[in-house]
Amino acid sequence: MTTQTLLPPSGSQPPGTIGAARRGNLRRLLIETPETGVVVACIGLFALFSVWSNTFHQTSNLQVVGRDLGQTGILAVGESLVILTGGIDLSVGALAGLAGILAAWFNVSGGMPAPLAILVTLVICAIAGVWHGVLVTRLDVPPFVITLVTYTVTIGAALSITSGTPITGTDPLFQNLSAYYVWLIPVPALIFVGVVVLAWFVLERTYVGRQIYAVGGNKEAARLAAIPFKSRIVSVYVVSSVLAGIVGVLTIGRESGTADPSVGGTGWELIAIASAVVGGVSLFGGEGRIIGIAAGAILLEIIHNGLLAVDVSQYNIQMIQGAVLGVAVLLDRLRARYFGRDRR
Amino acid sequence: MSFESPAPSGTPSRAVLARLRGVHKSYGPVRVLDLPELDLYAGQVVGVVGENGAGKSTLMGTLAGSVHRDGGEIEIDGKALVPGSTHAAQELGVALVSQEFPLVGQLSVAENLLLGRRPRESSRKVLVDRKALREEAAAMLTEIGLPPGSVNVNRQVRSLPVPTRQLIEIAKGWGREPKLLILDEPTSSLGPVEAALVLGLARRLAKSGGTVLFIGHRLDEVAEVSDRIIVLRNGKLVADLDRDEVTEDRLIREMVGGEIVHAKPKVADPGKPVLLKLHGLTADGLGPVDLEVRAGEIMGVAGLMGSGRSRLIHTVAGAQPATGGSIELGGEPYKPHGVGDGAAAGIALIPEDRKEQSLVLFASIKDNVTVGILRKISSRGILGPKRRRQEGQRIAESVNVRMQSVEQPIGSLSGGNQQRAIFGRAFASDPRLLLLDEPTRGVDVGAKAEIYELIDRAAEQGMAVLAASSELEELLWICNRIAVMNHGRVVAVIDRQQATKEAIMTAAAGSARAENGTGAVRPPAQNGAVA
Repeated sequence: MTTQTLLPPSGSQPPGTIGAARRGNLRRLLIETPETGVVVACIGLFALFSVWSNTFHQTSNLQVVGRDLGQTGILAVGESLVILTGGIDLSVGALAGLAGILAAWFNVSGGMPAPLAILVTLVICAIAGVWHGVLVTRLDVPPFVITLVTYTVTIGAALSITSGTPITGTDPLFQNLSAYYVWLIPVPALIFVGVVVLAWFVLERTYVGRQIYAVGGNKEAARLAAIPFKSRIVSVYVVSSVLAGIVGVLTIGRESGTADPSVGGTGWELIAIASAVVGGVSLFGGEGRIIGIAAGAILLEIIHNGLLAVDVSQYNIQMIQGAVLGVAVLLDRLRARYFGRDRR
Repeated sequence: MSFESPAPSGTPSRAVLARLRGVHKSYGPVRVLDLPELDLYAGQVVGVVGENGAGKSTLMGTLAGSVHRDGGEIEIDGKALVPGSTHAAQELGVALVSQEFPLVGQLSVAENLLLGRRPRESSRKVLVDRKALREEAAAMLTEIGLPPGSVNVNRQVRSLPVPTRQLIEIAKGWGREPKLLILDEPTSSLGPVEAALVLGLARRLAKSGGTVLFIGHRLDEVAEVSDRIIVLRNGKLVADLDRDEVTEDRLIREMVGGEIVHAKPKVADPGKPVLLKLHGLTADGLGPVDLEVRAGEIMGVAGLMGSGRSRLIHTVAGAQPATGGSIELGGEPYKPHGVGDGAAAGIALIPEDRKEQSLVLFASIKDNVTVGILRKISSRGILGPKRRRQEGQRIAESVNVRMQSVEQPIGSLSGGNQQRAIFGRAFASDPRLLLLDEPTRGVDVGAKAEIYELIDRAAEQGMAVLAASSELEELLWICNRIAVMNHGRVVAVIDRQQATKEAIMTAAAGSARAENGTGAVRPPAQNGAVA
C-alpha cells in the first residue's frame, strides 16, 4: 500500500486495447449501476406476461397495475428515502391505513370539506414524521423501534376511531382522486409518476438530495463536512409519512368512497421495503437510486398482477413473490462479491 | 521544555493564529487533554508528536470541532470558537484532514471534494451545478499538485485505492482555503512521492501565512517539515521545541517520559521443538511464506502498512483461507477452514481491534473471559453461575486485571486492563500457539510493560508466540527473532542480537523504494515509525 505511486503513471489510462477499455466500462457500469438488472427484469417480465396471458396487457388490467403503484409504489419511494439515510420506517403501511380513516372521519363526522380534511390528515402525518425524525436524531432511538411504536399506535387508532365499522358517505372528491383517468391513465398512477420524478430530481439534482446520500453513506463524513445531518434525517421521515398520508387518501376512492379499517395498509411497508431492496437500495444506507426504486416497485407489481393474470392461485402468489425477493437479494450479493475484488 | 516557555525565539512579532487557554477534555475519569496555554503562530508548520493515546487526535478534534471540549477558550484569528461545532470551526477557517478518510464511498470524487458546500463559481443555491462541481473538483486536485486528469472526478470514491482516497481527503481540506490546516498522519498510507507532495503543501500554506498542525507517526518526517514541534504525553504538553533544537532521541525521550526500559537479553532455547512450520504458505495478498517458530519462542512480524503482517496472522489463525502451501502445527499437518479449527488445534488469536474484534463491551468481565472455555467449565453441558464466577475471578486475577468485581462491564476498564483480560481469556484455553496482532495498540506506556510480561510468561510456559506489530521498539523489546515482511513475503528473519531498527526498516522498505525509484525524495535516514 505504501508503495503505490499515483503521481506519474496511474494518471493516464492503463495501456490496453480499445476493446479492453470498453469492457472495463461495461464492468464499471455494472458495478456502479446495479439498477440495470431490475429494469431489464421489468421489461422482460412485462413481455413474458403479455405473451403468456390474454388479459395482462389489456388496458383495464394495466389500469389496475397503475392504481396499485399509486399505493405500494408511492410508499416505496418514501421508504427508500428513509433507508438511504440508514434508517427504516415500519409505520408507512399502518399510517396509510390511518390516514384514510382520518380523512374520511374529518369529512363525514367532522363536517370538514374534503380538501381541508385531506390537508389536516397530511399535516398529522407530517407530525408523525417529525416525531420519528426527532427521536432518531436527538435521542438516538433506533428507527426500527420508534416506527414500530407508531405502527402499533396507528393501527389501534384506526380501530378506535371507527370501532371497526367502515366510514361511508365521503365526499365524491375522494372517489374522483382514485377512479378518474387522464388519457386512460388512473390518477394514482400519475401521482406515482409525479412522486418518482420529483424524488429523482431532488435526489440527483439538488444539494439537499446529495446530502441525503452523504448522510447515509458516511454520517461522520457528513458531520465533519458541516452538513446539517439531523435536519436531513428528520426531513426524510416527514416525506415518508406524508407520502403514506397521500396513499391513505387514495385508498378511500378505491373502496368506492368507503374508509374501511380492515383494508388498512398493514403489510404494505414490507412491499415498500422489498421494492427498495429489489431496486438496489442498500439497507445500510447511502446507496440506491430512484430509477431502481421505481423499477423495483413496478417489478413486484408486475409479478403480482401477472401471476394473477396467468391464473396462478392467489394462495401461491405470495410465496412466489418471496422467492423473487430472495433471488434478487442473492443476485445482488453475488454481484457485490464478484465486483468487490475491484474495490480493495 | 516546560509549557510556559516563551514563544520560540526569533519569532517574537508573529501573529497568533490560534490561541488555546485552559482547554481540557476527559473521557470518563481519564483526562485525555489538558492544555493550560498554547499559541500557534501564523506562517508555521507545527509538528505534533506523542505516543498512542497521548492526546494528539483529541487536540485536533477540539480545534476542528469534532470533539466537544469540556472547557477552556479557543480563539482562531481573534474570533472565539464555540465548542463541538464542525460548522463553526470551518467558518473560522479550520480544516481537518483525518487519517480515517471521512469520505462517502458511494458518492463521486467531485461530490466528496465539495461535500457540504457549493462550487464557488455557481450561482445556484438549491440545484446542483454539476458542471461547476466537476470543474472545481478537477481544479482542486490540480491545485494540490496532481497531474490534470489523473483522477476521474466522476468515479465513485469507493472504487479508488486507499492512497488516492487519502489524497482526495487532503484536496478536500485544502480546497476550503483554510487558515489552520490540520493534517492527522496524512502520509501513513502514501508512497514516498505522494508523501513529498503533502509535505510540500504544508510548507506552501505556512509560507502564505497560514498555520499547519502536522501530526506525524514518522519522526524524521515531522522534523523535516516542521518549524516547531510540540510533544504531548498523557494529554499534557511536555515539550515545545524549535526546529533546530529537535533531535530524534530528544523527541523519543520526551514522548515516553524517560520510561524506556532496557531490553534484557533473550535467547530462545534451540533445543525446543519447532511448533509452527509454514511451507510455501499463500493466501490473498500473502506469500509464499516459509517460517518456523519453536515452542517457547517469540517471533515478531514487522513490516510497513499493507506488507501482509495481519494477513499472515489471520491465515495461520484460520480467519483468512490459505490458497496454497502447508502449515504444520506440532509436527502434524494443519488445515484450518475457520477460526474454530484454529482454536481446536490449540491456537489462540488476540486480534488487533480490541473493541470490535475481541470484547463484548457491555458484558461483564466474567462473561468475557470465560467465553472460550464454557464447555470446559460446564458439567454435562449445564453452566452453573457459581462456577462461571469462580473461573472468571481466577482468570482475571491470573493476569492482574484491576477491577472492583468480575461482574462489572469490561468496557468500564482501561484499555490496558481490557487487553490483559483478553490475554487471560487466551491463556485459559491452554493454547500451544499464541497469535498477536498489534498487542499493545491503544494501551498506555505503563500498561504496555505489563502486557510484555504476559507475552514473556506465555513463552516461558512453552507457547510459541507470533506477534505482528507496527511498533519496532515493541518487537525489539519482546522478540527472540523478527520476521520482516514486504509485499506479502518474509524478506528477512533477523535474530535479536542483530536486530536494529535500521536493519528492520531497510528490509521492510528496501525493495519498495527500489521499485519506485524515488528514494531521493526523502533523506536516506529511514528511522521508521516510532510511535
